[in-house]
Amino acid sequence: MASAEQTKQPVLKGRVSRAGILGFLSAQGILVFFLLSMFVFSLFSEQFLSQSNIMTVVRQASIIGIIAVGVTVVIIGGNLDLSVGSMLSFATVLVVDLHDKIGPMNAILVMFALTLLLGAVNGFLVGLMRLNSLIVTLAMLSVIQGLVLIYSGGQNVDIANQGGTWFAFFGRGYVLGIAVPVLLFGLLAILVQCLMSYTGYGRRIFAVGGNPMAAVYSGIRKNWCVFSTYLISAFCVACAALVLGSRVMGSQNNVGQGYELLVLAGIILGGTSLLGGAGSIWKTVIGVLILGFIQNGLLLMGYPYYTQWIVTWVIIILAVWLDLANKRKRLLTTHS
Amino acid sequence: MTSIKGFFRGKAAIQPIWLFVIAIFIFFSFMSEYFLSLGNITNILVQTSTIGLIALGMTYVMINGNIDLSVGAILGLAASLAVGLQDHGLTIAIIAALASGMLLGALNGLVVWKTGVNAFIVTLGAMLGIRGLIFLYTGEQSFYSMNFAFADFGASTIGPIPVLAIIFLLCTLVMHLVLTRTGHGRNTFAVGGNPEASIDAGIRLGRHMMINFIIVGFFAALAGVLLASQMGAATPNLGRDYELWTITAVVLGGTKLTGGYGSITGTLGGVLAIGILRNGMNLMQVPAFYVLVVLGVILISVLIIDKKLNVPSTKEVRI
Amino acid sequence: MAINNTLKMSVLAASVFVASTTVAYAENSYRIGITQNNVGVDSYQTTYERAFVEAAEAAGNIDIVVLDAGGDVARQIGQMQDLVQQQVDAIIIWPTNGQAVIPAIRQANNAGIPVVVTNSKIADAGMDFIAAFSGPDNVEQGSSSAEMMCDALGGEGQIVQISGQPGYTTAIERAAGFEERLAELCPGVELMETQPGNWNRERAQRVMEDFLTKYDRIDGVYSGDDNMGVGALNAAKDAGRAGDIVFIGATNFAVGYDAIARGEYYGSIYQSPVDDAHAALQTALDVLAGEDVPKLNFFETPKITAENLEEFDRPVF
Repeated sequence: MASAEQTKQPVLKGRVSRAGILGFLSAQGILVFFLLSMFVFSLFSEQFLSQSNIMTVVRQASIIGIIAVGVTVVIIGGNLDLSVGSMLSFATVLVVDLHDKIGPMNAILVMFALTLLLGAVNGFLVGLMRLNSLIVTLAMLSVIQGLVLIYSGGQNVDIANQGGTWFAFFGRGYVLGIAVPVLLFGLLAILVQCLMSYTGYGRRIFAVGGNPMAAVYSGIRKNWCVFSTYLISAFCVACAALVLGSRVMGSQNNVGQGYELLVLAGIILGGTSLLGGAGSIWKTVIGVLILGFIQNGLLLMGYPYYTQWIVTWVIIILAVWLDLANKRKRLLTTHS
Repeated sequence: MTSIKGFFRGKAAIQPIWLFVIAIFIFFSFMSEYFLSLGNITNILVQTSTIGLIALGMTYVMINGNIDLSVGAILGLAASLAVGLQDHGLTIAIIAALASGMLLGALNGLVVWKTGVNAFIVTLGAMLGIRGLIFLYTGEQSFYSMNFAFADFGASTIGPIPVLAIIFLLCTLVMHLVLTRTGHGRNTFAVGGNPEASIDAGIRLGRHMMINFIIVGFFAALAGVLLASQMGAATPNLGRDYELWTITAVVLGGTKLTGGYGSITGTLGGVLAIGILRNGMNLMQVPAFYVLVVLGVILISVLIIDKKLNVPSTKEVRI
Repeated sequence: MAINNTLKMSVLAASVFVASTTVAYAENSYRIGITQNNVGVDSYQTTYERAFVEAAEAAGNIDIVVLDAGGDVARQIGQMQDLVQQQVDAIIIWPTNGQAVIPAIRQANNAGIPVVVTNSKIADAGMDFIAAFSGPDNVEQGSSSAEMMCDALGGEGQIVQISGQPGYTTAIERAAGFEERLAELCPGVELMETQPGNWNRERAQRVMEDFLTKYDRIDGVYSGDDNMGVGALNAAKDAGRAGDIVFIGATNFAVGYDAIARGEYYGSIYQSPVDDAHAALQTALDVLAGEDVPKLNFFETPKITAENLEEFDRPVF
């Protein structure tokens, strides 16, 4: 049984440091795989490792990456968030639509407030009402998509004066030669990684996700911890909406459709377990980048876009399998 | 209130979801003059048969404590094969379509069994990958069946009842009997309730789970073939998001995501609830945007009611 | 609406207006059902729906049932069955797929309900079962775009294409019309690659970013609609290469109209969802009135470039 086997691992276990190259290979398998795939792609396409291509891929990956940072926290806390795609549509439509009506600053504030409110609804239902997160966020995916359509009446929203607004900074700006979306992605990743690794709050989230009962007995207010993870997730979605809205300077109502799956794929590929209590932001960043480079590399090699899905299928399973195999010290399970 | 609670908690003959189905049935009968007619009710059955058939298999997999996110993609592939291979004969096309579903189900099951990777991850990957296979096979095109006998089958009736509805109801009956009256059914509950204990009890866990993945793959493919026969065609995007609606229906029917608990009768209720809501709101001309909100809110409400009615379980395990 | 009175579409719109006022005095009252492709996915479809509902209300004697398939073929078939069940007088369908809806249309036809297909054609096999088609000629639109591309590049260059949703009839027809006419008219223009943008601006922007990395020289971009075309323009502007590239689209969106006005976008095809909706309703009414309606009713969709821009109102979507 899959879940039974995974839960047997001790919670809060750090990476086991082993001597030898093999040990390193298996512990950092995903990183090795990342470098290997970069190498293979560079053999087939000369543009692949060009600076402009790398920047393009990282910039494209940053929207999914920013969301994945937040969802990783939810997953470490032992839950799922499938509503992020709809929430991204909601936040993007809102900020773009309000931009011309009440000014960029107010639009951003309102957008953050309302997106956090949606996160709070998720948090309330999952954390405080203790409903199943998969189903709750699945239902919220539908509800929020409906709300977006009702709000916009199904119309696209656009920013009229695209040249003259400082709102363009988030999606199109550069600081020290680095694109702002990439910068924002990096900054959020570092911030949340520090939060999870070096603060009491982070330790509590790990504890809640790893062993909820023990967490409660040790005095952690589990319900509010879970609640807060959804606020972090919603905050990250709002940041992603800033980038997306500013990059496109307009929005369709279904702009975020399917993002929840890409985000999950990136997180899983990075090696964060869906069972909670383990994982890291750093792994998620790698996972999201791998997805981005595979997609780009296959396109540059001239394969149609859907080959990336087939490749993703194989490597997601391989990545998680090898990780498990490494932990249990054998390739296959023993039961019949 | 306490008496109602007792009614639900006891071994009551009627499940909560069926009360809900009856309630909305009565509601829409009053709200729309077109709702309560044999034609409309058979329409609902035909429309729900697609999600319904998949949900039958999904119930088994979910009682096992697993999940299958790849069913929408399997449905799409089976539909494309069933139409695309008709040059080689209708029988061969249909057999190939059904076989593809069982094969992919077996593959999912085998990977879950042998690698120990969580079913959610395995089938999430498969969901992406199989959709890629569909696009590869079809070259992004829709297929159209030149054979009108195929489309006529999808529209055929026995007496006043459409054949598709009859197939769905028959499958439901069979799956209900297998789950409640056979060793495989008992094992399904045992494995979901306590995997470790089921191994100790001599159940071959991996094989057992693989069989259930084959079953859900078969039903997804069957749903795909029948849907293709309704359309006389197949499109590469067919079945997208169906996994979400299927899981929703099964959960509405009372099956627990944690495994060990559930029923086919409940799943039938869950499927009908969604079908009746969609159909009724169509007839009442509820704007499409609001339908999304209503369906989501109802799903959450059912979860809350379910939580309030049931004793909080001691197991606080989530996916 | 167009100022240019010679344009057929304004004539058509006027005829719809006249017709709807005259029909109001007719004694018959009709119940017409419409099942749309995917309202809310883009503004064209939303504006279409609004125009359709308004026109029906203005006519006074039409009771309409408005349904949306949400892009799902199976759901659309269910809606067709529901409409047959309700025994509406006529069904207007905006097909989610040109082939898969044919059996459902056939069922409606067998039940004696005339079916009008709107906006996007169905496959030839289904033509016997419909009363009429009303909508733009998408193959023709593709050809027109190819002509514009040829003019703009002077018959020489390397271009890329961003197509619509894979498998969707409109996308296939536009791409086919474009590719065929381009090869015929302008063998010197090479179409290097085609990738789908799924009618989505952000997706098209990504696709264009990849094109820009992959190809050092791109002279032109043809997009299946302006929404995607503007996404491509965004990407090229970011890369500082917008000045070297000719952008041509279809279904002129407001953002595309503005971009043409700014001189950043070469041209597009003017297609009004209001005309589209009115034409569909009018065709259905003509069918119901027992008139002899031709099978294919195309409404005019002219080229729009900076030269004739002022002849057209800015699209509302």
